[in-house]
Amino acid sequence: MKKVLSVLFAILMLLSMVSVSSAEETVVDLSVWGTNNGFLPVEKGSPLYEKYLEITGVGVTQPYVEWNGGTTYNEQLNLKIAAGEMPDMFNPNGMETTLIKSGALLDLTPYLEKYAPNLYNLIGEEVWGSVRANDPTGEGKIWYIPSVIYGRNAPMIRKDWLDKLGLAMPKTQAELVDVLKAFYEKDPNGNGIADELPSGGRAEARWMGQFFAMFGVAMWEGYPQWDLYDGELTYSAVTQNMKDALQFIAQLYQDGLLDPETLLNNKSQWDGKINAGNVGIWEHIPQECYNYAEAIYESTGVQPDIAVLPVIDADGYEGKGFYTGRKLSGIEFVVAKTDDEKKIMAVMQLLNAYGDTSKWMDFYNGVEGMHSVTKDGVTSRLPDDKTTQQNLILTPYNTISTPEFQVELLTSQLGTDREWAISQAIRNVKELAQYTHLPAGDGIPNSIYGEYADIQNRTLYVEYATKIITGEYSIDKFDEFVDKWYANGGQAVTENARAWYAAKQ
Amino acid sequence: MQNASQRAAARTHSKGLADNFRKYWPYYVMAMPGVIYLIIFRFIPMLGSVIAFEDYQVYTGIFSSQWVGMKNFVNMFTYSDFSRILTNTLILGALRILFCFPVPVIMALMMNEIGAPRLKKTIQTAVYIPYFLSWIIVSELIFDLLGVSGLFNRARALFGLRPLLVMQQSKYFRTVYVFSTIWKEAGWGTVVYMAAIAGIDQSLYEAASIDGATRFQKMRFITFPMLLPTVITMLLLQIGSFMELGFEHVFSLLTPMTYSTGDIFDTYVYRVGILQAQYSITTAVGLFQSVIGLVMVVFFNQLSKKISDDGGLW
Repeated sequence: MKKVLSVLFAILMLLSMVSVSSAEETVVDLSVWGTNNGFLPVEKGSPLYEKYLEITGVGVTQPYVEWNGGTTYNEQLNLKIAAGEMPDMFNPNGMETTLIKSGALLDLTPYLEKYAPNLYNLIGEEVWGSVRANDPTGEGKIWYIPSVIYGRNAPMIRKDWLDKLGLAMPKTQAELVDVLKAFYEKDPNGNGIADELPSGGRAEARWMGQFFAMFGVAMWEGYPQWDLYDGELTYSAVTQNMKDALQFIAQLYQDGLLDPETLLNNKSQWDGKINAGNVGIWEHIPQECYNYAEAIYESTGVQPDIAVLPVIDADGYEGKGFYTGRKLSGIEFVVAKTDDEKKIMAVMQLLNAYGDTSKWMDFYNGVEGMHSVTKDGVTSRLPDDKTTQQNLILTPYNTISTPEFQVELLTSQLGTDREWAISQAIRNVKELAQYTHLPAGDGIPNSIYGEYADIQNRTLYVEYATKIITGEYSIDKFDEFVDKWYANGGQAVTENARAWYAAKQ
Repeated sequence: MQNASQRAAARTHSKGLADNFRKYWPYYVMAMPGVIYLIIFRFIPMLGSVIAFEDYQVYTGIFSSQWVGMKNFVNMFTYSDFSRILTNTLILGALRILFCFPVPVIMALMMNEIGAPRLKKTIQTAVYIPYFLSWIIVSELIFDLLGVSGLFNRARALFGLRPLLVMQQSKYFRTVYVFSTIWKEAGWGTVVYMAAIAGIDQSLYEAASIDGATRFQKMRFITFPMLLPTVITMLLLQIGSFMELGFEHVFSLLTPMTYSTGDIFDTYVYRVGILQAQYSITTAVGLFQSVIGLVMVVFFNQLSKKISDDGGLW
């Protein structure tokens, strides 16, 4: 009897080993790095891992790497790369040129069209053409998956504050100043305390697009962009437009119409002030304004009306303002070089699913019960909760997107008790399109910066801009900045940029 | 006879290390972790400094990256803000020695005069607790303390003054650096001096009491002179790390508005080296920094040997 049992056990054990190993053979795990603003990591076997496995057939793991404006992310990424532990697929966040040149990345050219046709066709030949043109080795290869987005960022205004104070939507510079003053003086949040911050932004003069836009300064999240000024491709930070914008912002700062801590705010501090219902005008992503709306409602009990602020006509710049769009400048993912065919095929399988629009709602809704909930057959997203939700790293609906798809996506979320907030986002996405302008330097590769690290990370610009805003420097110092910028590599970088533009024409 | 003893001496000499080891092996074992630490984390990485002379690419590696000789050093010296970084580093280093170094000595002397042992212990603990907080936490506290709704500006408001945002004005950066260093580290520094004071022969004090010395005289003529060798050793160690201002400390207090007074070698290396992966140029900067540190410590060591007989670290 004992013998029979032991033989049986042995057979069972063998069988279970066989089944385990066969399961392992079919699933390839990839470590994927990208933006994470504080959500939970994804380990093997966790709910989001299983969900992505179900959608794509590939295992996706993500360690916890906080984005923190990109600096913590870059630090961790560089350390990993230096240690020889490059993630399988990641957002290179400005590092791509170095990595491509040193041969660290996988050349995607031979694979994409054949093995990830969904993504290849969705992004389209025109965009791939730009990607090939940007190959720093000059061989016209595809090294990265671009993000193809439309104008996504724009300033928003508390329209309910305007209504409460009986003010119209501002259109000119003078009207804007009046509105800011009214926000400051007339207690629009009605708590009897003068705690309103009419406007503001974040450290390094980031997310203050409302004031740069009105002077026609191409600016993306606080990063000056390349656009045509006087008919030539120029870095927007060194233009007269920038000088006028900074002068205006400095004046507002001096008059107390901006958050005095603007240049010290990090993301969570600034978001905290907005969510507490104290901020009147701020720049962020209107398609996600429902996050702010719900947070404000929760903390103040007032349902805010968050609208897109129209482009203001600055004095002397009538009709020249715009909100900066971006189509090709972003890079979503690169793939680490590997000889492992299985791994390459897994990456392609993942990318093919990523580009399959029929799966986008699944990517969007994430894990049932964690990111979303289904009621009466309608699945809708739950409000963001960093303590319980794993980081959704595959967001094709945001990174290869059109306003139409955003509207469709948001509409699918209606019919829940979040409708009041989400409908504001839908209105804003539709409204924003008219103000968006694509700068001429859209898609310019980082390789133009060469070894001028301080020009690329805009150190000089940030230092002068912030000091001018706080009033430590007078606006006259701006000219000194421009001279210094050109003398310290700006000249060479500008020549590279113009050569790139000429080749593109 | 003489021959034999000579031979014996030679034998002991050749066997010296082995014998020594056999005799004192527990000490060798005790020293082992420290020695291994030094080799792994201090000596081996030094070999990596070779990338300062290469156009180092992570993926190509140390051995196959292109050799560029002094190019990175030339770039460093021609970098427009090089003089600014150097000046800031030197000034902060000097301020630290001038203002932060004496504080623990004075505090130790003061605490030594506290009679009640309980009170003395409490104060000692209270002042050295900040040492165990990380700079990230301390800098957050400082930013909050000096923020618009922080204690500092509330106090100003009581006097009818407008809020002053200290952290975004370059002229205050060095003051904040000095004060935060003292607040966090002075208490810990006193531990060494308190131990040295505890080791002073009590009979000296008794003799002084018989001669009718006051408390202040005892401090001035016994405690302080007896403490001086320790102070000088600590000063030399401090000067040796003159250029190491504490990356985390400066970095966590720095904003773009205070680059002009606060941007130092370490923060520059982080910004360009770690964030943008330009390892070669930043290694060159680090190497330069180390050479200055070495020169300073050798110079001051010689100086201290000149001043007193048993002065100097070696």
